[in-house]
Amino acid sequence: MFRFILFLIAFMALPGATLAGPLTVSVRDAAGRPVRDAVVTVRPDAGVPRGPIRFSWPLRVVQQNVQFQPFVLIAPVGAPVSFPNLDRVRHQVYSFSRGNRFEIELFGQDQTRTHTFTTTGVAALGCNIHDQMLAYVRIVDTPWAGKTDASGDVTIPDIPAGGASLKVWHPRLNVPGNESAYVLTIDAGAGRQTMTGDFSSRAGVR
Amino acid sequence: MVKFRYLRTRMTVLYAGLFGIALMLVAVAVWTAINSSARGLVRDELTASGAVYGQLWESQTAQLGQGAAVLAQDYGFREAVATNDEPTVRSALDNLRARQKVDGALILGIDGYATSAGLQPDATAIATLWQGLNGGSIEAGVLTIDGQPYQAVSAPILAPVLIGWVVFVERLDQTQMRKLETLSAIPLSASVLTSSRGTWRDMAGPPSRLDGAVNKAVLSGGHPVKARTTEGETMVLARPLPSFDAASPAVLTLSYPMSQALKPFAPMFAALGGIALTGLALLLAGTWVLSRGLTRPITALDEAVHRLKVGEHAEVAVSSSDEIGRLAESFNAMAGDIRDREARLTHMALHDQETGLPNRLWLERQAALAPDAWVVLLGVDRFEIVRNAIGYDSMGQLVGSLGSRLSRAANDTRVARIAAGVVGLILEAEDEVNALETAARLCAVADQPINLIGATVDAVLTAGIATTRRETGGVNSVVDRAGIALDQARGAHLKAALFDAAAYGDPVGNLSLISDLMAALESDQVWMAYQPKFDLRADAITGVEALMRWNHPRRGFVSPDLFITMAEETGQIRALTEWGLRHAIADQKALEAAGHVLTMSVNISGRLLSDTSFADFALAEVARCGADLCFEITETAVIDNPEMALGIIDRFSAAGIAVSIDDYGSGLSSLSYLKRIRADELKIDKAFILTLDESSRDALLVKSTIDLAHSLGMKVTAEGVETPTALTLLRGMGCDKAQGYLIARPMALTGLIERLDMPALEGETKAA
Repeated sequence: MFRFILFLIAFMALPGATLAGPLTVSVRDAAGRPVRDAVVTVRPDAGVPRGPIRFSWPLRVVQQNVQFQPFVLIAPVGAPVSFPNLDRVRHQVYSFSRGNRFEIELFGQDQTRTHTFTTTGVAALGCNIHDQMLAYVRIVDTPWAGKTDASGDVTIPDIPAGGASLKVWHPRLNVPGNESAYVLTIDAGAGRQTMTGDFSSRAGVR
Repeated sequence: MVKFRYLRTRMTVLYAGLFGIALMLVAVAVWTAINSSARGLVRDELTASGAVYGQLWESQTAQLGQGAAVLAQDYGFREAVATNDEPTVRSALDNLRARQKVDGALILGIDGYATSAGLQPDATAIATLWQGLNGGSIEAGVLTIDGQPYQAVSAPILAPVLIGWVVFVERLDQTQMRKLETLSAIPLSASVLTSSRGTWRDMAGPPSRLDGAVNKAVLSGGHPVKARTTEGETMVLARPLPSFDAASPAVLTLSYPMSQALKPFAPMFAALGGIALTGLALLLAGTWVLSRGLTRPITALDEAVHRLKVGEHAEVAVSSSDEIGRLAESFNAMAGDIRDREARLTHMALHDQETGLPNRLWLERQAALAPDAWVVLLGVDRFEIVRNAIGYDSMGQLVGSLGSRLSRAANDTRVARIAAGVVGLILEAEDEVNALETAARLCAVADQPINLIGATVDAVLTAGIATTRRETGGVNSVVDRAGIALDQARGAHLKAALFDAAAYGDPVGNLSLISDLMAALESDQVWMAYQPKFDLRADAITGVEALMRWNHPRRGFVSPDLFITMAEETGQIRALTEWGLRHAIADQKALEAAGHVLTMSVNISGRLLSDTSFADFALAEVARCGADLCFEITETAVIDNPEMALGIIDRFSAAGIAVSIDDYGSGLSSLSYLKRIRADELKIDKAFILTLDESSRDALLVKSTIDLAHSLGMKVTAEGVETPTALTLLRGMGCDKAQGYLIARPMALTGLIERLDMPALEGETKAA
């Protein structure tokens, strides 16, 4: 059970303006604590622009200190994601996630392998050698996406005004698919959404 | 409070009781110590075994967990699970199950879908398992499948996120429990119990016999507790086990009955019991012996008192100088005093105080001891006269001297004083003659005058002898019989006489005769006989004498002399006379009716002449019937009050009753009577008439008596006329009437009437 409280802050609409202000989404758990690494995606009803999607962060998952870094990576569908190994030990990266099964055979220090995720969704990454290693790649098909920081907030800029669907995903969000979807209207000016949910799912935790 | 009959019982019971209480306390202490020690032992062992089982459980969990983890972490397996490659998954499960030798293995998906190998858990068990695992609260624990508890251990399948669990289940059965039981030093019993609806059940399902104790044991936090089960007191340890079903907790129970724990001590208890019983028996015996020693003098005293009470010899041997010893001495002294006093009393009872001779009682006792002997009583003749002559004191001396003389004469036989002037002794004699001779010889000791204070006294002895051999004559005491014999000897003027029962008669029988007679008056045993009186001048029977007759049913004819004398002596004569008078008057009427007018003579005892009420009765009776009577006054008894008697006779005369003086010439009749009594008739006693024709002296006496009577104005009747000669003589002497067998015997009324119809002197003609 989760509750979704929507606040619409209306700005004076500029005639002919196509771009609206940034949308800030705050994700909180049931106790009101900020939840980091929650992926927020917004898909305007008007559709997304054609062409490759580019994000401001590098599309790579580093293996360092026998850990994946970062824990959650947002990657556009069809873009290659690199897996550089900065450890001196070797790793064998795999995913059994539906639509995004892959396996990168053992590779050593300073070697980089890439994998292109062709299906939107989630790929849970593990290392066949080191059980404690776990990371997620969220494959999206919209450029308006971001993950919450330590304060549990994420700000997504330049979303076109109008109706849109908003999705919040987190490996511990205790709903089917670990994903909650909302419908909202993007207005001109900055918007703010707070999403509260149950983040106690046992899956996705080591 | 219990009453004890004997002191020693009391002591024995007291000591035995005290020792018994001490024994009981010791027994309780020993039992408590042993019990507590055994309980401690069991408690320690249960705790230790519980700890061992905890470790066993942990290690088994770990072992199973490792096996499950090995599979869960296998890359290929994970891939197969993640890609829903079920055949591969199943084969992998089978493979591992065989390798690990577990009862069942299953994959439980995070979505609750289960793939199992070996055991096929039911849907409930799967649901319970999923809830537990998905809740994250438990990884290993007890899982109930089909009512049977299993140990279930899980390992998560991470691919890399959690997609399910590998679960191994191992049956918790008796085999496993037996294994655990063998690890313990004591033969405890182990079991895994699960709770369902508040009842603890054994692995197989039935409610556990420990049901009541488990909750308590669980609450105690792993410490053994005492509980009461079907096996008696039992120590129970309950160790909670993790359970997948929160509503159905599971525990491992270890139990051990205390009876088992105490079994090794049973021989010791038996030995203690034996020692206690032996001790008690020894104490009882010892106390008994000891107390008997203590109470023996008291018991002896007690028995001596009892003996004293019944008059036996009672002396207690004094052996101690303590209180009991002093008591015994006092008792002996007292018993001696009593004995002496008794002896004195006995001596007094058996001896004559005046002469010191034994007394009558003594002689009777001696006689009773001699079954075939003779008792001889020797009496001083004319005792009163001698006593009055010489005084009482001297009489005692006289009797004492006679006693010692007799004693010497009879070979130092002891002589007893029987009465004031009678002494007696017991004589051995062959027969009556011998006894009489000896008695006569003994009488002779008095032939020598006896010297008393310087004067000589002559005494004459008479002896009476009776045998002790048998009782005779209705006299119980042989001394009495001898006394009667003494009287009989004196009466017969003999020196010595044997007791003559026949002569003595039967005084007691006579006494009963009177009561028989008074009772017989109402029957026909007693009747009146009439003897006619012949008038010599009229040559006719002019009167009859009424005579009483008695036929006793047993004794037959009883002499009127006997029963009339007895009636006079016992005061019954009045009633008898009144009866006779009434009958005589009635019979006179009957004779009159038969045509015979006769004067009826009735005998009146001299005793009745001092009884005015009899006179009143007689006069009233005569007046009522108008009878013509003649009262013959017998003089057998002394007339006590002559004045009154004469007055009464005068009243009779005045009433027209003729008065006759009966039996004149014998007994007590004297001329003074003739002088004073105005009688109409004089009857001469038959003693004179019977010998009238033989003795001229008698004839003279009769003749002069007739003349005397006639000159005093009296008619004369002769009694006992039995011969015609006597009748002729009497007629010649001028006698008025005759009575006797010659005329007629006394006869009953009917006989009399017949006789009166015949000639008056039938007998005379016959005799002639």
